[in-house]
Amino acid sequence: FIFDFFNARLHFGCSRMQMYPLEMEGNSNPKTTNKPKYSKFTQQELPACKPLLTPEIVIAAFALIGALFVPIGLASLHASRQVVELVHRYDASCVPVDDKVGFIQNSRTDKTCTVTMTVPKYMKSPIHVYYLIDGFYQNHRRYVRSRSDKQLRYKSAAHLTSDCVPEGDTADHAPIVPCGLVAWSLFNDTYTVRVNGVVTQVNKKDIAWKSDKNNKFGKNIYPSNFQKGRLIGGATLNESIPLSEQEDLIVWMRTAALPTFRKLYGRIEKDINANDNVTVVIQNNYNTYSFGGSKALVLSTASWIGGKNNFIGIAYLTIGGLCLSLAMGFLVLYMVKRRNFGDPSNLSWNR
Amino acid sequence: MRPDGKLPPPHPSLAPLPQRPQQATGTDMDPHARLPDPVPSPILKHSPSISRSLRSAADTSSVTFAADFRSPSKPESTSPSFDSFRTARSRPSSVSRSSTRRSASERAGSQRDLRDEDARFVYINDAPRTNAPPAMFPDNSIRTSKYSVLTFIPRNLYEQFHRVAYIYFLILAVLNFVPQLLVLSKEAGVLPLAFVLGVTAVKDAYEDWRRHRSDKNENNRTASVLADGVFRPKRWKDIQVGDVVRLVANETLPCDMVLVSTSDPTGVAYIQTINLDGESNLKTRYAKQETMSTPPEALAGVIKCEKPNRNIYGFLATVDLNGRRAISLGTSNVMLRGCELKNTVWAIGVAVYTGRDTKVVLNSSGAPSKRSRLETHMNREIIALAVALVVLCSVVSLLAGIWMGDHVDQLGIIPFFHKYDYSGAAAHDDGRYNWYGTGAQVVFTFMSAVIQFQVMIPIGLIISMELIRVGQAYFMVQDNRMFDEKSQARFQCRALNINEDLGQIKYVFSDKTGTLTQNRMEFRCASVQGRDFSETDGGEEDGHAVQADGVVLRPKTAVTTDPKLAALLKDGMGAKASRARDLFLALATCNTIVPIVEDTVNPAAKLVEYQGESPDEQALVYAAAAYGHKLVERTSGHIVVDVFGTRQRFDVLGLHEFDSDRKRMSVIIGCPDKTIKLFVKGADSSMFGIIDKTLNPDVVQATEKHLHSYSSVGLRTLVIGVRELSQSEFQEWQMAYEKASTALLGRGNLLRSVAANIERNMRLLGASGVEDKLQDGVPEAIEKLREAGIKVWVLTGDKQETAISIGYSCKLLTRDMTQIVINSNSRESCRKSLDDAISMVNKLRSLSTDSQSRVPLALIIDGNSLVYIFDTDREEKLFEVAIACDVVLCCRVAPLQKAGIVDLIKKRTSDMTLAIGDGANDVSMIQMADVGIGISGQEGRQAVMASDFAMGQFRFLVPLLLVHGHWNYQRMSYMILYNFYRNATFVFVLFWYVLYTGYTLSTAINEWSSVLYSVVYTSAPTVIVAILDKDLSRRTLLKYPQLYGAGQREESYNLRLFIFIMVDSVWQSVVVFFIPYLAYKNSAIDSASLGDLWTLSVVILVNIHLAMDVIRWTWITHAVIWGSIVATWICVIIIDSIPTLPGFWAIYEVMGTALFWALLLAVIVVGMIPHFAAKAIREHFMPNDIQIAREMEKSQDSRDANQPEVQMSTSTRA
Repeated sequence: FIFDFFNARLHFGCSRMQMYPLEMEGNSNPKTTNKPKYSKFTQQELPACKPLLTPEIVIAAFALIGALFVPIGLASLHASRQVVELVHRYDASCVPVDDKVGFIQNSRTDKTCTVTMTVPKYMKSPIHVYYLIDGFYQNHRRYVRSRSDKQLRYKSAAHLTSDCVPEGDTADHAPIVPCGLVAWSLFNDTYTVRVNGVVTQVNKKDIAWKSDKNNKFGKNIYPSNFQKGRLIGGATLNESIPLSEQEDLIVWMRTAALPTFRKLYGRIEKDINANDNVTVVIQNNYNTYSFGGSKALVLSTASWIGGKNNFIGIAYLTIGGLCLSLAMGFLVLYMVKRRNFGDPSNLSWNR
Repeated sequence: MRPDGKLPPPHPSLAPLPQRPQQATGTDMDPHARLPDPVPSPILKHSPSISRSLRSAADTSSVTFAADFRSPSKPESTSPSFDSFRTARSRPSSVSRSSTRRSASERAGSQRDLRDEDARFVYINDAPRTNAPPAMFPDNSIRTSKYSVLTFIPRNLYEQFHRVAYIYFLILAVLNFVPQLLVLSKEAGVLPLAFVLGVTAVKDAYEDWRRHRSDKNENNRTASVLADGVFRPKRWKDIQVGDVVRLVANETLPCDMVLVSTSDPTGVAYIQTINLDGESNLKTRYAKQETMSTPPEALAGVIKCEKPNRNIYGFLATVDLNGRRAISLGTSNVMLRGCELKNTVWAIGVAVYTGRDTKVVLNSSGAPSKRSRLETHMNREIIALAVALVVLCSVVSLLAGIWMGDHVDQLGIIPFFHKYDYSGAAAHDDGRYNWYGTGAQVVFTFMSAVIQFQVMIPIGLIISMELIRVGQAYFMVQDNRMFDEKSQARFQCRALNINEDLGQIKYVFSDKTGTLTQNRMEFRCASVQGRDFSETDGGEEDGHAVQADGVVLRPKTAVTTDPKLAALLKDGMGAKASRARDLFLALATCNTIVPIVEDTVNPAAKLVEYQGESPDEQALVYAAAAYGHKLVERTSGHIVVDVFGTRQRFDVLGLHEFDSDRKRMSVIIGCPDKTIKLFVKGADSSMFGIIDKTLNPDVVQATEKHLHSYSSVGLRTLVIGVRELSQSEFQEWQMAYEKASTALLGRGNLLRSVAANIERNMRLLGASGVEDKLQDGVPEAIEKLREAGIKVWVLTGDKQETAISIGYSCKLLTRDMTQIVINSNSRESCRKSLDDAISMVNKLRSLSTDSQSRVPLALIIDGNSLVYIFDTDREEKLFEVAIACDVVLCCRVAPLQKAGIVDLIKKRTSDMTLAIGDGANDVSMIQMADVGIGISGQEGRQAVMASDFAMGQFRFLVPLLLVHGHWNYQRMSYMILYNFYRNATFVFVLFWYVLYTGYTLSTAINEWSSVLYSVVYTSAPTVIVAILDKDLSRRTLLKYPQLYGAGQREESYNLRLFIFIMVDSVWQSVVVFFIPYLAYKNSAIDSASLGDLWTLSVVILVNIHLAMDVIRWTWITHAVIWGSIVATWICVIIIDSIPTLPGFWAIYEVMGTALFWALLLAVIVVGMIPHFAAKAIREHFMPNDIQIAREMEKSQDSRDANQPEVQMSTSTRA
């Protein structure tokens, strides 16, 4: 017995309707023919192409893919190798060893921390400054859902905080703008960059998508009641600047896809030469310690393939190589075991 | 009436069913004893035995014309009324004929059985009184539509939710609203179910709209109804019970009505019941003399009739004309809705049943519901998928539990879980936010996972399959090659859910008469007085036109005559010639044929068409006409026969209708020369018992020889005898007859014994041979089917010799076959011959081990032996023999035995069975088989009504199975597997992501995309491809019937393929997920962008997968596959253009990066490599027959392209 999932019907007194089958028969009018009209469509004779996987096509397909993928792989590997990327993890070095959480949660301690890096190769501007967080599940379901996109865009929707729990309203029921855990946990470390001792401007303009600034975050919406609760999640917002100008928030609100992610902090619009010393003064405010995450500072140039990313080049080379060898393999196989194309003697009843 | 007995039954005591106790003492017959009656067209069979036997057959097989057993059984057991006697006596002019004609119905009409509380009272011409409360009869409008505008939504939903699958999806949709679970937004959560319900609702609404329209047309037709003394047109829907309706020739009856008067002085009206039961011949109905005499305007009285019921063969009523004695009414006095009045200038009736009470509406029922083999198998895979779903959900919830255990101290503060509500502490009593303990969270995770991964069980599959079947049915119906020009019959798909079963048939059970043969009889030869006249070569094809009053009368069908016989009849002298003339006179008179004169374009020429219930009789009357004995006129009292130009009038003094016990009929006629002759015509087995062999022993001997040779060439034979009755003999008979027909108890038996009493000492006149011609293309079709590995079994009611000879002529039997004949008349001999057969089969099997030198076997078994075999539980042995044989021919089988044989195979093998037949006697077989096919032929609609598919010709079975069946099976199999695959791929992609989100079931893929995926992004290509794709052309499939074996061996859908495609699905999901994952690890990618990449790559991948498997690319296929990729892209863009969704503008941003395109290309290529490589290997190194045939087709196509003239010739052949 197999339970018939799709057809099993529950019999709760279903009376089957009866049909009246007698009309619609062609008998009534014998003069006009009942014959179905001929058309290529109704007779299923539409012109059609019937491709077959002939040995030539198989070998050609593999060879073509190989020929296409190897150069792409080489090009992207080359581009990736051009990218200069400096990653410096600072979450451990910037806090005392014993009570990390206590240290970071204490609002009065000085959390300044200085890191120094030496640039190995010439870095052409713009140099992207990222912060990299690991172990922060910005894709956690309870986290990503705790936001109100309507509130971010429409003034009239400020009270729509029901999706934002548990960071929707303050204790006295005033709506928080921007509400929700995502905004609440806004990253608040700051970086001051010195190249060879000279303070270098980190441009924090245009780090967010234009579309977000123009259409997603309201120009007339100002933060209110933000970070006023019992537990402070992260950065506070200047209540006199509209959300559309709060680019750090906009970047943060584009939740990352994966538990390890980097987000754009700003850009250094000045070339840095090889062996230059880059000193970054960090205000180490953000608490990654309570959940065992880590933080890092990333300075990176960009190429057409994005940041430093060897994977895509290697992947393309591998696929290309695989396809070329498959092409060879099939060539050999077809040579070894030939078969007459469409030979009726191969039909099972002729064998 | 069927003199030859299409299905002569075995002796009653050997009936196939266990005998049930008789229903009541005094029952004049036991219906079960005569169960094997053929009786294909029972509507006007007044002989109770015949209609009874049909009903009992109908009962056991629950045919559509399921009868109401209440009414016929009761009156038989009680005493008849005197009224029928009086009625019969009151019309002495046609005493014998009319009383036989009407006896059954009148006996049934005994008013004593009709109690007042069971009756409806109809006041003639007084509709208001009739319909006054509490009667409240329905009006005459009919409503076949299910819904009205108001009730559509609730009713349609109610009906749709009868499916368990929908309940499952409903539960998931409701679960989604639990706040702890809310996986999808409220709108997105209900969308899939709403979509599926919506599409189905639109389909239902469209069908219902069509029904509404046809109802409206039907209801607004007009009929003339008596109002205030004049007949005025009135719309059908306004006709009420009690109205007097006047009809003219060729009008359709608007309701069931009792005939009160007609243009014919004797009160006869002819009706055609083609809409009721499909029989095209005319039936007679009678108005009562009492009602005839009163003008309709003055007619007043009350008709007391039974409550509406489904029995179209019975009617029970009395009419009381203003206090006069009640007159009983029966079936012969009632005309049913849907019939047409023919050959009668006008007829007037009183409406008794209207609208939904009419018998035709009560009898209509929907198509039978069967389930396809593929769907049964599909459930196995659905269970596998359900298990996979549970495993995925368990893994996720288990990991979530472990994760929460690991972080148990941090759950309160870590930003991504946030167990406590810190902002509005007062709102929640203990400050907890959606936290119910780890255990509860695990359960919630599990349920959320079920919601998230629900498409693992493809919801779209149900609706896709329905749409596909509609599409496939459309193409089957539209197929010109399955259109029967002769009957103008299109192919009909009555069952919409077993299309794909047509591709897996292993056994075909076929009826013979009307299915393999045309059931259009042709007179072939006659044995007259011991001389065989079968040389028709030199004969002219002549209908023998006769001239009368300057008008040439010509029979509609010409018959080729034997010149010698024609000469003997025309100019022969002496006793021999006069006996020969008697023979043809018997053929012209001893029947129930009605001659219908039709006008032709030439006013001086008229056509005579012989209408009757039996094709055999028609053939014989046409033959008699060709040999100079033309039936010109038949009334209830006399017959006019044109004998070589001189019109002779014969009085019909008595008539014993055909019944299947006697297997003969007889007529007593008074000749112009004042002699009284009794003509008897019947099956040889019954006739030789009543023939006095001493009268002309040489003739008897010669005739027997001729009969044998006739039946061995496949002719249906009839034997004709005559006896001159003396006046005293006749009077004696007349008295006995009247006594019998008015007897209180056991009238049927008495009448039969009266008949038997007079039908004795007959002088043999001769015999006739009628050919039931094979339908076109039957031998070729059978050969094709056999080549396709389908075993064709023929089940017929015919004699063994006839069956064997038909078997030869339709190439079922060939000369090189070894025939095993089981033809026993006792239990013992039957067992012995069965054992012999088994040992013979075993011997032959051991002799020839390899299939090449195997001796083909044919089993020929008759109904009697089957009875013994089924009785004695030796079915197993029969099965053993039967499956070893290539051909099985069952002769003299009863309808229920046919079903028994189908069941024999169905029970013991998993092979698919198909039954094809055209008559009521095939109904049980058609319903028993996996696929039932009705031939819409001569014998009415009952087979069609019970069938899943109906068509005009047997030979259409070849394109139906070999072409459409093959396609349907291949398409549907692929579609189901593909549906599993594409949904599983998507679910696995979601699953991999869940592993990187702290097991919290969030998705990067936009929730709208995830619900649209299976219903919009990927469903259209599957439906279109499954309707249009063809793995092989019609030409190839017909040329190599062996290709049909793919379906029989279940090559397109099996567990192996399922596992393969699931492995592919896992691989592709890994590729889709992990290539972008590895590329974007540590990058600044946001979830919406990555989600869009995943969405697009999975949609493109599954569509390319489909594209790779599409065999035939038409522009539609191109449009739908590439179109659905484009549509997906557009949908993603639209979704990302909504500012209030988190993923706003992501697609534009990500499409601007080179990495996106590089990843998309890499995913597609890597995803497809295994499938492509496996396909290349399979097609080249392990080609199956279909693959080779495809290649042959390809080279054929290129050859055709080079030589167009070759193409012309081959395409006409194909």
